[in-house]
Amino acid sequence: MGRELDHKLSFNIIFWSVFIFVGLPLIYTFGMTIGAWKKDLGLLDGKLFGLLMRSGLISLIISALSTVIGVVLAFFLYKTDIQFKSVLKIILLIPLFVSPYILAVAWRDLFLILGLSSSWISYVGMIGVLTMIFVPLSVLIIGSGLSNIDASLEESGLMLTSYKEVFWKIILPLIKPALISSLVLVFIFSISEFSVPAYFGVKVFTTEIFTQFSAFYNHSLAIFQSLLLVVICIALLFAERQYLAEAPFFSIGTKGVKQKVYQSSTKLGLWIVMAWLVISVGLPIVVLFAQAAQGGTAVFLKSFNLLRHSFLNSITLAFVGALLLTLVGVVAALGYLGQGRRRYQDYFDGMLLILFAIPSTILGVSLIQFYNHPALNFIYSSDAIIVIGYTGKFAFIAAKIIKNSVRQIPKSLIESAEIVGVNYWLRLRKIVFPILMPSIFTAFLVGFILCLGELGTTIMLYPPGTEIMPIKVFTLMANASDFLTSAMVLVVLAVSLIGVLGIYGLAYWIASKREKRYD
Amino acid sequence: MKHISILWSVVLLMLLSSCGKTKNEVVIYTSVDQVFSEPILKDFEQETGIKVKAVYDTEETKSTGVLNRLLAEKNNPQADVFWSGDPIRTIVLKQRGVTASYHSALAQDISPIFKDSEGHWTGFSARARVLIYNKNLLTDDDVPKSIFDLGNEKYKGKVAIANPLFGTTTFQFAALFSSLGYERAKLFLSSLKKNKVVIATSNGDVKKRVVKGEIACGLTDTDDAHEAVQEGANVGVVFLDQVGLGSLIMPNTVNLIYRAPNEANGKKLIDYLLSSKTEAKLAKSCAQMPLHKNVLIPKDVPSLDAIVPMQINYEETANKLQEIQNYLKSWVEN
Repeated sequence: MGRELDHKLSFNIIFWSVFIFVGLPLIYTFGMTIGAWKKDLGLLDGKLFGLLMRSGLISLIISALSTVIGVVLAFFLYKTDIQFKSVLKIILLIPLFVSPYILAVAWRDLFLILGLSSSWISYVGMIGVLTMIFVPLSVLIIGSGLSNIDASLEESGLMLTSYKEVFWKIILPLIKPALISSLVLVFIFSISEFSVPAYFGVKVFTTEIFTQFSAFYNHSLAIFQSLLLVVICIALLFAERQYLAEAPFFSIGTKGVKQKVYQSSTKLGLWIVMAWLVISVGLPIVVLFAQAAQGGTAVFLKSFNLLRHSFLNSITLAFVGALLLTLVGVVAALGYLGQGRRRYQDYFDGMLLILFAIPSTILGVSLIQFYNHPALNFIYSSDAIIVIGYTGKFAFIAAKIIKNSVRQIPKSLIESAEIVGVNYWLRLRKIVFPILMPSIFTAFLVGFILCLGELGTTIMLYPPGTEIMPIKVFTLMANASDFLTSAMVLVVLAVSLIGVLGIYGLAYWIASKREKRYD
Repeated sequence: MKHISILWSVVLLMLLSSCGKTKNEVVIYTSVDQVFSEPILKDFEQETGIKVKAVYDTEETKSTGVLNRLLAEKNNPQADVFWSGDPIRTIVLKQRGVTASYHSALAQDISPIFKDSEGHWTGFSARARVLIYNKNLLTDDDVPKSIFDLGNEKYKGKVAIANPLFGTTTFQFAALFSSLGYERAKLFLSSLKKNKVVIATSNGDVKKRVVKGEIACGLTDTDDAHEAVQEGANVGVVFLDQVGLGSLIMPNTVNLIYRAPNEANGKKLIDYLLSSKTEAKLAKSCAQMPLHKNVLIPKDVPSLDAIVPMQINYEETANKLQEIQNYLKSWVEN
C-alpha cells in the first residue's frame, strides 16, 4: 500500500507537470485549429496516403537496417573483450552529434567525388545516411539490453549446447524488448525526419507537412497531417505492447551478478566494428577535414571564435534537458515495475509518444502559441522554453530505454524487500536504481546528445539574443564557404565529444565513490 | 537525497536566471543570412548602445523559423523589427496584420517601387536573380542569354533551380506569371520540366552543384553567385534577359512589427538599416546593390543603373504567388 501511495505521488507530480508544460500546449494548438479540420479532411486523398505508405516503408527499411547492424556492433562492443572497446563506443556515437543535414551534405559531397550522381543514389543515399545516424541509437539500446543478461543463463546454456544455439535461443529472446525498442524508436525518428530526405530530394510525408507549413502557411492542415503520423506511431506502440505482453521476461544481470563477456579468439569483432566506424564516422570526417583544410588553420580559429559564445550555453541547456527528461523517463518507467495492468502508465506513455512523434516545427508552434502570453513571458523569453521543448521531444526515448530494464527486474526481488518491511524509497535506492543504473545512464547520455544537436524545435523557440551551437552553425552555414562550414562542424564535434567525455568522467567518478562507500 | 535537492536547486536557479530583461534593447528577427546581418547589427549596437537581441534564420530552412514564429507570436509580439531578404515574406506578414506602418526619413530618396505606400515595409540593398554557370562545362557562346533559353533541348539535364515552392525562386516564378500571364508562364515551366531541370534544395545548393560541375548552370541570387566567385570557383555570372523581360530585382525589406514592445528602438534600428552606410557595408560583404544614390560600392558589385530590371509590382507579385502555389506544387511533384 505504501509503495502504491509513494509511487502515485511522484508519478502524479511528473505526469501532471509534463501534461501542463508540454501536453496542454499541444492540445491548445490542436483545439485552435479543429474548426478547420473539416475542410482539411477533404484534402486527404489517395496520393497523400500513398506518400504516407512510402514514408513508412522507407522508415521500416532504415529501422530494420539500424537494428540488425546495431545487434552486430552491440554484441562485439558489449559482450566480447575486443580491444579499445570503451573508446570505440564513444567514437560510434559521433554521427549522433552532428545535425543530420550536415552529415547529408558531407555524404553527398563524397558521392560526387566518387562520381555517383544518378537518381537512385538519392534513395540509397537518404536511407544510408539515416541508417548511419541511427545505428548508434540502436547500439546503445541493444547494448544496454545485452549488459543486463544474467551470465548464469548463458553459462547454463553453453554447458548443454553450442554458442550459436545460445545466441538464437537465449540471448536474442532476452534482448527482444531492446530490439523492438530500437525498431520502434528508429522508425519514429526516420518517419519524422525532414532535413535529410529534403536534401536528397526524396519526397516523403514530412516534406509534405513542411510544404503546407512553409510554402502555404497552412498551419491547420500541417497540424492535421501530423496527426496521421501520430496515429501511425500509436498503432506501432500498441502492436509493440501486444507483442511484448506475450514475450517472456527473464531475470537480468544485476549488481553482484557477473555479466558474461566472451573472449574473442580472432580479431574479427574488432575488424567489423572498425570497418563500420570507418564508413560511418571516418569517411564523413575525412570529407569535412579535406574541405576545412582548404581554408588553412585560420579557418579553424575563425570557426572557434564564431561559436565560442555558444559552447557553455549549449552544454548547460543539453545537460539540464537531459536531467529533466531522464527524471521523466524514470518516473514513467517505474510504473511498469512488477506485473499487472498499468492504465495510467499507459496514458503517460501515450502522451510521451505523441509529443515525440509530432514534427518538431508543430511542437515549436504549439509551445509558442501557448507560452507567448504576457503572464507566461517569464518562461517564453527565457531558456526554460528550450528545456521544455527538449523534454517534450525526447522524454519518450528516456522512458523507453529505462522501461526495458524495469520490465526485466524480477518481481521476487521487490517482493522480498517488501516482506521484510523495506520502504518504497529505500527499495528504489537499494534495489531498483542500482539495477537500472546502466539504463538511466544510457537514457541520460542519449538525451544529452539529442538535446545538444536539436534544431527543429529549438530554431522556433530560442529566445532572441541566445546563442546555441547547432543553430549558430545552421544559420551561419547558409552563405559561409564550404571550408568554414566544415570547420564549424568539426569544432561542434570536438565540443560535443568533450561534453560526452565529461559525462563519462562524471559517471565514473560517481561510480567509484559508490564503490568506495560499499567497500 | 540532499545532493539531489542541491542539484535541482541549481537547475531551477539556472532556469530562472535568464528571466530578467534589460530595457534599452531592440529585438529583431531576420531571414537574412547571419554572416551578413550579424556584423551590421553589432555595429548598430556599438554605435547606439542599444542592445540588439536577434533571431536568425536561413534560406536552408526556407525561413520557416522566423516567419512562422512571427505569425504565431502575432497576439503578443516579441520582435520589434523584421529584416527580410525579399519583399514577399514581408507582404505575407502585412496581409496577416503582423506589420505596422513606419515611414523612415532615411528612405525618402529610395524609389517608390521599392517601398510600401502605407509604410508597412521599406526596401534597401537589392539582390538580383542571375544565372551562374560552370566555365568548364559551358563556353561563353553557349551561355544562355534569356531565361527562356533554359527550356531549349540544348540544355537538357544541364540546368538547376531551387525548389520553386520556397524562397526567391518562388518570387521569380511569381514575377514571371505576373509579367507573362498564366498561359505563357505555364508553357515556360513545361519546357523546363521537359528539359529535366534539376530541382535543388536551395539557391546555395544550386551554386554548389554548379561550382562542383555536377550541373552546367542554374538560377540563383547575386549574393550566392558573388560568393562562388570570391571563393575562386571557375564560374561565370549572367544577368538574363537584358534585352526584353529584364532581371528580377529583390530588395531587402525592413518593417516595424505591430505592437512592438520596443517601438522607439525598433524605429532607430530601421533608420540604421535604411542608411547609405548600411548599404555600403552590404555591397562590400555580399555584393548587394544599393538603392540610395551615390553609395560607394566595390568595383565587382554591379550598379542597379546598369541592369535592365523586370517591371513588376511587388504587392501584386505576392498576390500572384498565392494564386499559383498549388500549380507550382503539382509542377514540382509531377
